[in-house]
Amino acid sequence: MSDIKLSNVSKTFGIVSVIDDLTLTVKSGEFLVLLGPSGSGKTTILRMIAGLETIDKGTLEIGGQRCESLPPGQRQVAMVFQNYALYPHMSVSGNMAFGLENIGLGKAEIAARIAAAAKLLEMTSLLERYPAQLSGGQRQRVAIGRAIVKQPKAFLFDEPLSNLDAALRVRTRVELAQLHQRLQSTVVYVTHDQTEAMTLADRVVVLNSRHVEQIGTPMEIYHRPATRFVASFVGSPAMNFIQVKTKLNGKKIGIVAPSGKWITLPNASLGKGDVELGIRPESISIVDRDADATGQVKIIERLGERTLLHVQLDKGPLIIVQDSGLSKLNINSPVKLKFNVSQISLFGPDGKSSLRSAAS
Amino acid sequence: MIGKAFTSYWFPVLLIVPFLAIYGLIFIYPTISMFVLSFTDAPLIGSGNFVGLSNYARLFHDPRLLVALWNTAYFVILSVIPGAAVALLIALAVQRLSGRLQAAVLALFFLPFIVPVSVVYLIWDWILNYQFGIAMHWLDALGIPRVPVFKTVTWFMPAVALITIWWTCGFSLLVFLAGLRAIPAEIYEAAALDNASRWTTFRRITWPLLWPVTALVLTIQLILQLKIFDQVYLFSTGGRPNDTIVMVQYIFQMAFVDDHGGRAAAVAVTLFLIVIVVTLVEFQLLRLAGGGQKK
Repeated sequence: MSDIKLSNVSKTFGIVSVIDDLTLTVKSGEFLVLLGPSGSGKTTILRMIAGLETIDKGTLEIGGQRCESLPPGQRQVAMVFQNYALYPHMSVSGNMAFGLENIGLGKAEIAARIAAAAKLLEMTSLLERYPAQLSGGQRQRVAIGRAIVKQPKAFLFDEPLSNLDAALRVRTRVELAQLHQRLQSTVVYVTHDQTEAMTLADRVVVLNSRHVEQIGTPMEIYHRPATRFVASFVGSPAMNFIQVKTKLNGKKIGIVAPSGKWITLPNASLGKGDVELGIRPESISIVDRDADATGQVKIIERLGERTLLHVQLDKGPLIIVQDSGLSKLNINSPVKLKFNVSQISLFGPDGKSSLRSAAS
Repeated sequence: MIGKAFTSYWFPVLLIVPFLAIYGLIFIYPTISMFVLSFTDAPLIGSGNFVGLSNYARLFHDPRLLVALWNTAYFVILSVIPGAAVALLIALAVQRLSGRLQAAVLALFFLPFIVPVSVVYLIWDWILNYQFGIAMHWLDALGIPRVPVFKTVTWFMPAVALITIWWTCGFSLLVFLAGLRAIPAEIYEAAALDNASRWTTFRRITWPLLWPVTALVLTIQLILQLKIFDQVYLFSTGGRPNDTIVMVQYIFQMAFVDDHGGRAAAVAVTLFLIVIVVTLVEFQLLRLAGGGQKK
């Protein structure tokens, strides 16, 4: 068992509260991603698990063992830092051996673990080199290797891909996913990159200004955002938001689309008044009749496999609509738009989702 | 019309000429003159006749040279490595402080460095003077007989070395502190996660990463202390200057007391070569000691 349990954890720096009463469980073998903008407290959570920041209030258990007052070295976790933090004066094998020597492992055992990790990460030929002689991607591997040889209860990653160039980032992302499949280890991974979160995570924790907005699988986060913040933060281009009025029609509840059409939303728990309709660009289709909204194309972004149309609604804001890669529309073309009702999100004035359940 | 040849060749030359002129006038020319002078029997002022190597021959038969050489070496041993060690210890302690407290403590340790040597002499004379020094009253209170610190050969060099360390370690401290700050915090965090004890962290992380800075401090200190003069001169007045003499003081005596310009130049040339050779050897040794690391 190597689950991680944070219970009612709080953290303040001086008078600034960074984490407020956080309770979070990382299941054994789970790849959990902490996703949020800068300043959301995600790195602080990771550093509290590692022991690099103290926990002011609350408890931390790693693999069933209370850890909040243990020094970092005794928590049996390994961390991969954003800028790798390799020891510049030690060779690659020296970097990997250091932590093992400090827990008193024998030379043969250390050599065997280094050899195994080097083979797994395909860096056997690099073992005698020094960090300054390695490329960014190779340093990244060494940092991961240094974590693997410790055979920790959990791996902690602090934005490990942010210093790599775009192509290498994509490749390393895939390798990390493969590595996790093979090692089946518990991973806590901090990022502000939603693509990394979507592709790597078993579950994503979306954080915003020191509290949890939503915890769920990548698909839940994407398709059923719990708050307006999650909806706007996850997805590129971002979700469109349109102010609409709610309307009761007999016993059925629904909203009034920009075109004046009435859309029934059986799952919505709506009061009277205004709500915000959230809809992703790919959930809007261009139709000939029966439109939920009409507008005029203002900007066309051709991305090859798809086209993004920035449409100024006749009664509403500028929204982004996804069309096929071979879209024949031109600037200033009038368009009729239809919303995919099953993909609509609604947010009340408090920013919370007004749909009853993600399952239905 | 300003041509291309002017901007690409003559203009840069024009810019470095003032420096070259001053450097030549106050360093190259006197150095060459010193070499030339060392082969003449010139007095302190005026020129003399060429006498070949006889100044050097006489020098190596002068017992004062050996005394001066030994005292200089002894002083270097007592001051360079101990001084660097003290500065490093203080730097490690100061680094653990933060904010204004760190700045205040740092300022306190740096303060002696800005004091001129004459004031250093007065302060320590008040402390260690045989008749009225404060330290002597402490010895009296403890029932220990007074020690004439600056009048005995045994105590003279250790005392001057201690005073020199007190006076100059503020500078080494600053250099060490800059070196310590250049080691990224993440390296220490990685070491903490690697279960390194405080001693292991120092021995295997801080010390090797700080080594280039340590080598720099040792080299600067070595060159400075080989040229020791002021403190020894001041503290030995009224003491036993012939037994506590150091190399530069020997040059000073030869030139300004005995009026032997040529022979003083020969000593100066000897010291010049010693400084160069010792520094080169030291630099190579330090490089070898840190040779296991690549940057």
